[in-house]
Amino acid sequence: MSLLASLTRAELRRRLREGELVLRTGPFTTRIRSDIALVGEGLARLYAAHAIEDADSFADFQVNLLRSGGWRRWIRPQVLFDQGGDAPFTPLPLAQSQPMFEWVMNWCISNHAHGYLIVHAAVLEKHGRALILPAPPGSGKSTLCAALAMRGWRLLSDELALVRCTDGLLAPLVRPVSLKNASLDVIRAFAPEARFGLPVEGTIKGTIGHLAPPAASVARADEPARAAWVVFPRFEAGAATSLTPVPKARTFMRLIDNAFNYALLGQRGFEVLAQLVDDCEGSDFVYSSLDEAIALFDGLAGDAP
Amino acid sequence: MWQVTPGQTLAARQWDDELVVFNSLSGATHLLGLGATILLGVLQNGPADETTLAAALQDEFALDAAEIGAELPPMLARLAKLELIQSCPCSPA
Repeated sequence: MSLLASLTRAELRRRLREGELVLRTGPFTTRIRSDIALVGEGLARLYAAHAIEDADSFADFQVNLLRSGGWRRWIRPQVLFDQGGDAPFTPLPLAQSQPMFEWVMNWCISNHAHGYLIVHAAVLEKHGRALILPAPPGSGKSTLCAALAMRGWRLLSDELALVRCTDGLLAPLVRPVSLKNASLDVIRAFAPEARFGLPVEGTIKGTIGHLAPPAASVARADEPARAAWVVFPRFEAGAATSLTPVPKARTFMRLIDNAFNYALLGQRGFEVLAQLVDDCEGSDFVYSSLDEAIALFDGLAGDAP
Repeated sequence: MWQVTPGQTLAARQWDDELVVFNSLSGATHLLGLGATILLGVLQNGPADETTLAAALQDEFALDAAEIGAELPPMLARLAKLELIQSCPCSPA
């Protein structure tokens, strides 16, 4: 198995140009084709520790990120996502190629990987027990996720919790953590050793920067985890740190609100989610201090067995 | 008389005094309180009239007959609106 970091920049660009880069992220492989230098630069910075497969190996997803044609090649150039001739997304300015790659990856998984119950949530693990952080955008989920990942929690995912329908375990999908606006500086100050991709201004979500996932988490991307906590986070400036229990039935319904494919899975989805909630304590979590948040979650995880 | 909606399969999980129910016909999932859970439990055993349903509630809650009588119709209406139960002309078996 090779890591993406083993490729020279020239070889990475060639593979992207020829559609020969097959990237492994957790249980999925993605064949990526791109003629955009920023895509290669982003992959080199953020996916260095990820495995790559042979050029001719099977891939679950095909992602083409290409420059728009016509006059757009020269004036306000754009990036276009193409999947087998379909272009489900509106083209974006070329400078947003890396965020678009991340959104496209989320789209591919949440629209196709129905062997999993997929919940919009971050997932981290410590001492064999996983913490699920479901939340809408703007709640401080990714900031908290990044802080935990930089303080010894194993990152499984920042965006998509993959609950395996076969056994209810959480499959790791270790990818960069998407941080927006003020959160970027917060995490830079909190973890000066953190590695980031290039910040991208002017996206629909403001300024976006991606935190490279810790290499130790990427290396354990084939180790699933059992959920122990479902915590609904909410950042509130100046608020005292608080963790309030949420009854299991309410936890269940709120997880449905954050699930991508619960309705599609039908009764199977109900059973998988019910098992997950059985195994977990549900809570609302309000925070303003990352240090206090880390201390609280470290306390929950306890000492290593 | 009331009965569960014919043809549906209900998957349910109860935690404390609350029940989540998946309705295979509608594909919807509902959160129900204890009273509705009791009514649904009775009707899953077969059609029942309002006297039987009221008695089931009275066994659980410390309410008098008048209070139960006031509570029961809106609870049944809510379950019917969720398409979990329906009124029926049938007689008890």
